[in-house]
This record gives sequence, C-alpha cells and structure tokens, in this order.
Amino acid sequence: MTLGPPLHEQVAALTWLQSLRLAPDLVTPGAKPEATLEAEAEALFGPLPLMGMTLLEIGAGNGGFSLAALRRGAVSAVVTDHLAWSLPGAEAGMATMLALEATGAPAQAMVLDPRALTPEFGRFDLVLGTAFFEQLFNPILALRGMSSVTGQVLLLETAQAALDEARPMLTATTRPMPYGALVSGWAPNPALMGPLLRDLGFVRVLHRAHPIEGAARGLYAAFKPDAAAGLAAGFGAPWRELAMPA
Amino acid sequence: MTPQSELSDQELLARIGRITWFHSLELRPGIVTPGAKSLAVLRREEEALLGPFDLRGRSVLDIGAWNGAFSFASKRRGAARVLATDEFAWTHPTYKGLESFELARAELGLEVETLQLDPTRMDASLGQFDLVLFLGVFYHLFDPIDVLQRMRAVTGQVLLVETHQDALEREEPAMVFYPGRTLANDDTNWWGPNPPLMLHLLRQLGFARIYYRDHPHYLPAEGSRTRGIFAAILPGAEPAMSAHFGIEWRDLGAAGAMRDFRP
Ligand SMILES: C[S@@+](CC[C@H](N)C(=O)[O-])C[C@H]1O[C@@H](n2cnc3c(N)ncnc32)[C@H](O)[C@@H]1O
Repeated sequence: MTLGPPLHEQVAALTWLQSLRLAPDLVTPGAKPEATLEAEAEALFGPLPLMGMTLLEIGAGNGGFSLAALRRGAVSAVVTDHLAWSLPGAEAGMATMLALEATGAPAQAMVLDPRALTPEFGRFDLVLGTAFFEQLFNPILALRGMSSVTGQVLLLETAQAALDEARPMLTATTRPMPYGALVSGWAPNPALMGPLLRDLGFVRVLHRAHPIEGAARGLYAAFKPDAAAGLAAGFGAPWRELAMPA
Repeated sequence: MTPQSELSDQELLARIGRITWFHSLELRPGIVTPGAKSLAVLRREEEALLGPFDLRGRSVLDIGAWNGAFSFASKRRGAARVLATDEFAWTHPTYKGLESFELARAELGLEVETLQLDPTRMDASLGQFDLVLFLGVFYHLFDPIDVLQRMRAVTGQVLLVETHQDALEREEPAMVFYPGRTLANDDTNWWGPNPPLMLHLLRQLGFARIYYRDHPHYLPAEGSRTRGIFAAILPGAEPAMSAHFGIEWRDLGAAGAMRDFRP
C-alpha cells in the first residue's frame, strides 16, 4: 500500500454510484444500496458456475458486479465504463480505481465504449452489462461488439418497456441517471431479446424479471454455441427460456 | 449532355429485358422500363419527396438509388451535383442494379455520378451534400441507428427519410423488429419505427426541425399509414432550399403533432 490519507478519508472524498464493502467496517456511500446490489448479483450470478471464468464488464459504474463475480469464483475482471467515467466532473472512474485497489481484486479498469469492441480485444467467458439499454445511443452496435468478445455467456440487466406487446419491440427512453445526466437510451421488451440476440450470434436466451423491481426491469442470459455443456443447467425458475425463431 | 447510346431500339429492349426493374423509367419515347413502381406512382412519389425543395445548384446524395429514378429526378430539377450510391441492388444477380443505372443514365444523357458503396460503410469522408435521399432503406437495416448516424455525417442541410413504419398506435417512440421473414416474407426487412421514434432519433442526431408527411400511396384515408416521409433539417440550413412544405407536411416538433397518428 502506498502511504496517503486513510482509506475511509479517500472514500469520503468521492461520489459513489454503488455501495461497496471495501473492508469489514467500510462501505462506500453509494446511490445503490449494498443489499440491492447483492440481490441483483445473486439473481445474475447465482445460477452460473463462475469458478475460473474471465469477466468483461461493460458500463460497470463502480465495478460492484465485477467484485461480486470475483468473490464468487471468477478469476479476473476487466472493469469498464464509458459515459459515467468520462462526463465532465464524473468521479466514478476514480472511485472504481480506488475500490479495485483497496480490495486487491484481480481486476483492471479502463474507459471503454462497447461499440468499439472487436475480437482483437480478447475473449471473455462472461460478458456483463447492467442498466444496459437505457444508457446507450446504439445498443445494437454495442451488443454486436460485446458478442464479438463473448466466449460463453452474456449477462444483461436492463430497463424494459412495451411489455403489453407480443411483437419484438425496442422503445426509446430518456431518463435521469445517478451520475447526474439526463441520458437517452432504449428499453427492449422480452419478445425482442431472443430474436435480436440470435441474430447477434447467440443460440439460447434465458430471461427473468428483476428480483426487486419486477417486470419493469429484466435479466437476460445469452449463450454462445461453444458455451460449456451444462453452463445453463442452474437457470431454474424464475428464469425461462425465450423462444428463438427458426 | 446528349444521349450517348448507340443501341437500336431492339438492342435497348433486349438489354432492358435482361434486368428486373424497380423503377419505371422512360428511356426513349415509348420505351419504358417495366418497374415494380409504375411511371404514375413514381411521379406522385417524386412530387411528394422533392416538391418542397429548391435543388437548383445544390448537391444531392441518393442512398439506395437502385435504378436511379430519384437521382435522375434531382438532376432534372436542377441539382448541380448528384451522387447515386447503392450496393445490395446494384450487385444483385437479377436486379443488376448498377448495369440498369448505367443503361438508364446513358439513355437519359444525365450527368449523375455513381459510387458502389453500402450505407453501412459510409462516413464523413464522402463529403456533405445539401440533400441526402434515404428512401426505402431505413427498414432494410439490421442496425438503422448506426446508419442514420452515418447519414447525419454526410448531410449538409437536409436528410430526407422515406420508410416503412409501424407501432403507430403507440405514444412512446418505438420500433418493431422483424426476425427472419416476418415482414412481407422478405428477410431484408428488419425494423418498423413509429413517427415519435424517428423524431427522437433525428433530434438526437442534431437535426433542428423534423417535418412529416404521409406517403402519397399509404394514406390514413385508405386505411393505412404504413409508410411515412421525414424531412430533417440541420440548424443553419438555408431557408430558401426548403421553402415549399405544403399542407401535407407537419412540423413534428409542434404541440400535438403526434396526436392523430393514433387511432
Ligand atoms: C425499397 S428499395 C428503394 C429504392 C429507391 N431508393 C426508392 O425509394 O425507390 C431499397 C434500396 O435499399 C438498398 N439497400 C441498402 N441496404 C440494404 C439491405 N441491407 N438490404 C436490402 N436492401 C438494401 C437496396 O439496394 C435498394 O436500392
């Protein structure tokens, strides 16, 4: 450890998006409570055998989900964000670096726009994006980039809309974000996700509602053709398989 | 320019016959290409699409030009420079689009440039054009958001979008996805946006005013509004270029502009 102000002072000097436990007696004062983060992490990661997996996280905020995945057995994480780390005055990037350093996690942080991803970036067993569609100008391009670096499984958490529609539909939204910007983005309905992800190279898509917010938000697990056999075996109810077009 | 062609009528008819045409073009008196769109249909479309604009001396980029009806119409309306682009239909084995375009251009003696380039690969290096025609292409794209952003990069003043639309009953901006052959049994159809969605996207891309009119052949009175025309105008565009929006057009930014889209 470098000598500097005590950790709790460094934590107090920054604005946090997520409440992360950095030490037994030190939780960052984030907009998202620790219990919410843990409930979401359990819903996303609970069914997946994370042991030994490499992770790429897109739109990581403060990296709370990456830290949760590492605690659950993932071997390494590349923790990235774009908007929340690069808006003028945004401290989320610095806060994330501090959290990764304080926990000694095998993780690396970088600014990354998922639209720029190509296979040359690497191949990750698990690619994760939370609060996903609602913050992207172009989620189709972002998903194409993410698919190109997904070795086995893509996990998404997102706002949803047009739930009354049986037809696949993407809705445009404009919402205030916790990092203080009004952001335009999108919200899919579940009917969209099977066919859209199929056309982006996934062969199987599972879905469940958000553990706290219900159907207003959705969780998706999408599997690549060469995902390890049995990787989806733990996804019991409330997860359900989405129909894929022929 | 005078017609360059030295083909006899017989030879011309033979060449026309080897191509599947989308546009009916009168290449010589009495010789009309047998397009899926008739001469009368194209005349109404041309008036609806290009009527509001003064193209004299201006530059026009036609995306997905196919046989070239709107490229040729722009040139005839006085455009100084017209660049016609396409790839899908131009390289298609039965549409033979580039061959068809070149045949028509030679017969009509119009000075129109061509560039075989798909809109998914266009960017600002193409230059900026006073009017960009993006007609019948939006819904053919798997990622129309990316391509619309590319269209913004090549637009100097006005982007004109003609598209299939859907989800008209919904108030919020939305687009319907058509996997496989869901729409019209055609696997090149991907998305059907509603007018609020087009307004949202075009505004996000920095267009200041967005005007809408119903497509002349898909009118609400005829029980269908499944195609629409959007004219998106950049801040600082010359008012004189787009001075003739008739009563068919509405400013989508005006209060209540979306109201009567919904049943
Ligand atoms: C319906 S036609 C419209 C032709 C002309 N602009 C008009 O309005 O009459 C569609 C055009 O989009 C082009 N296009 C571009 N990308 C396409 C794609 N991915 N699939 C099918 N057509 C595509 C075709 O080559 C064709 O010229």
